[in-house]
Amino acid sequence: MKAFTRVAFWSALFSCGFVNLSSAETSSSSSSGGAKVMNPDTSISVLGLFRKGVSGNDSASPLPNGLLFQEAELQFTADVDPYLRAVALFSIAPVESAVAHDHGFAFEPEEVYFETLSLPSVTFKVGKFKAAMGRHNLFHTHAFPFIDAPLISQAILSEEGLNDMGVSAAVLVPSPWYTEFTLQALAGRAQGLFASPNPNAFAGVAQLKNLWDLNDSTTVEWNLFGTVGLNQNDTKTSVLGTDMTFKWRPSVGGKYTSALWTTEYLSTEKLSGLSSWLQYQFGERWWAQVRADFLGLTHEVGVEPTYKQSALLGFFPSEFSGFRLQYDHIAHEGDPADHRMSLQWNLAIGAHPAHGY
Amino acid sequence: MNLAKVIFSKTFLVTGFSALSLGLVVATAAEAKLTVLTTTTDLRSLVEVVAGDLVTVEAIAKGTQDPHFIEAKPSFMVKASKADLVVSVGLDLEVGWLPSILRGARNPKVAEGSDGYLEVGNSIDVLEAATGKVSRADGDVHPQGNPHFTLDPLRAVKAANVIAERLAKLDSANAVKYRENALNFGKGIDEKVKLWSARVAKSGVKKVISYHKTLTYFFDRFKLDNVAILEPKPGIPPTSAHILSVINLIREQKVPLILVENYFDPTVTRKIIQEVPEVVAHTVPVAVEGEPQIKNLEDLYEDLIKSVETSTENSVSKRKAG
Repeated sequence: MKAFTRVAFWSALFSCGFVNLSSAETSSSSSSGGAKVMNPDTSISVLGLFRKGVSGNDSASPLPNGLLFQEAELQFTADVDPYLRAVALFSIAPVESAVAHDHGFAFEPEEVYFETLSLPSVTFKVGKFKAAMGRHNLFHTHAFPFIDAPLISQAILSEEGLNDMGVSAAVLVPSPWYTEFTLQALAGRAQGLFASPNPNAFAGVAQLKNLWDLNDSTTVEWNLFGTVGLNQNDTKTSVLGTDMTFKWRPSVGGKYTSALWTTEYLSTEKLSGLSSWLQYQFGERWWAQVRADFLGLTHEVGVEPTYKQSALLGFFPSEFSGFRLQYDHIAHEGDPADHRMSLQWNLAIGAHPAHGY
Repeated sequence: MNLAKVIFSKTFLVTGFSALSLGLVVATAAEAKLTVLTTTTDLRSLVEVVAGDLVTVEAIAKGTQDPHFIEAKPSFMVKASKADLVVSVGLDLEVGWLPSILRGARNPKVAEGSDGYLEVGNSIDVLEAATGKVSRADGDVHPQGNPHFTLDPLRAVKAANVIAERLAKLDSANAVKYRENALNFGKGIDEKVKLWSARVAKSGVKKVISYHKTLTYFFDRFKLDNVAILEPKPGIPPTSAHILSVINLIREQKVPLILVENYFDPTVTRKIIQEVPEVVAHTVPVAVEGEPQIKNLEDLYEDLIKSVETSTENSVSKRKAG
């Protein structure tokens, strides 16, 4: 994670009252009376982790063993005026190289953008945002289905996914089912996939999203997406991907049981892989999940494929807290397998979030 | 990959954005008949009462679902994108899902603050509005008031009038009809509330237990004392210790009836019935279409009144018990 330290800026921001954390004391996204209602909805997510690797740390994750501060996310959202809505989400997380030594942290704008509110059929968005590259890339860390991202997302789109400055247009295409076509132009100078030193770098993203209701309880979502830009060697690199999600929540008894199955495929010129996970809710507050990752479906000579299997048990005392125990088995071709247990706590305070689907 | 490179070329993207800006933003032609989308089946029932065949109306949540936890399905966004009016309860009932649906709809006609968006709860004399500091340590509370007001027939009449006024504003040609229908609905309900009140009084039931604070307005209207809630706090599932305290309370206060809203787990009452066989537990619908035979709000009120009456007819529940 690239360090982004602006202590003076944040001190000023907090002291000038833009950020009023007192709104976190209410369960409402808005409060009555005075200027308080005009403050942005504020929420803070805190992710803590206890991790134990039996045969060393796997190379796919930069986090070491032991008790860890995984991440804190500060989110502010508000309508700017009748035409625009602003979203600002800042991440505080350990700096990779400093974790074991001086416990340094990076304060980074994960997403800061504004989007249109009053245009029919289309939403324009400008700022730094998560690119429309499939279902998983749009999740913030606190909403990841598992404690970590799928191997393909980490390896191809980077640990934090594809997230860059840019402009976006998402059109709700008139059709009997949900069809959204998104076109995005990114600065193309973010870390990871598009780390071009070229000052004129540029990257494009396109996604076609479809969702059908099979019946009142079941939906199927299919996304096709891709991006092209300049990599750190200033040569063109592209990613194509697709994902499919079946979601089932019965309209009778759906408070206590539901299921979701997602499979995602990502491919570059040099590497491809897929990840498939099943999430099953077996009680009001309980989830059991499994995931299979295969990185290296196609790969360059000399790069060994990686297989990873994960199982997760989640307990959510309320909508605002969750505890998840995850086991990972990671096998690199030709090397002994890694085994890893992780316990994560995930807490949210502040404004009630409006959930995506 | 060559195709991908062409697709994402700068020329293509610039052309694409221009097309989106200039060509694809096409407002759909207004139709004569208003299309209304409501968040709950209760509100849909009220729109049907007020507008009859003058509008087309659909609900997002089903009557069998807990309206606090509806998922923001993109198919709802498609419906909202075609709506002339979205009617919601408000009071934070839909805070977890409706904003996502409205944003995804990309329909300025129904954006918050426009005439095509109506939060009925803002016009209702609510119960249980928070007066002091509110914290999530109190559970899933609604600081602006309990949002389940449609279970009070007289507040439902008020809601019908609010809906009629908004429909009259959007469709002035039929304004008289909307207002007349709301007025007639109110007259009918006024008469029925007198009859329902007499039946509750005759049943002798004065104290009731429910699973959640869903029936607060119904109990308030018919002078039933909601002496305990099976949830220890709103949104928190019942614990053994709390159920034991409820059992003690039922014995001490001789509470005859438990009503479990039918989207909650009714098996929680088994332990109570084992310990106190005299108490009757009913699983009840609390929304229109909560059960197939509940077609409108009047059916719903009638069903709830019957649930109170049957609690004292004999000790064996005629309805589904936990």
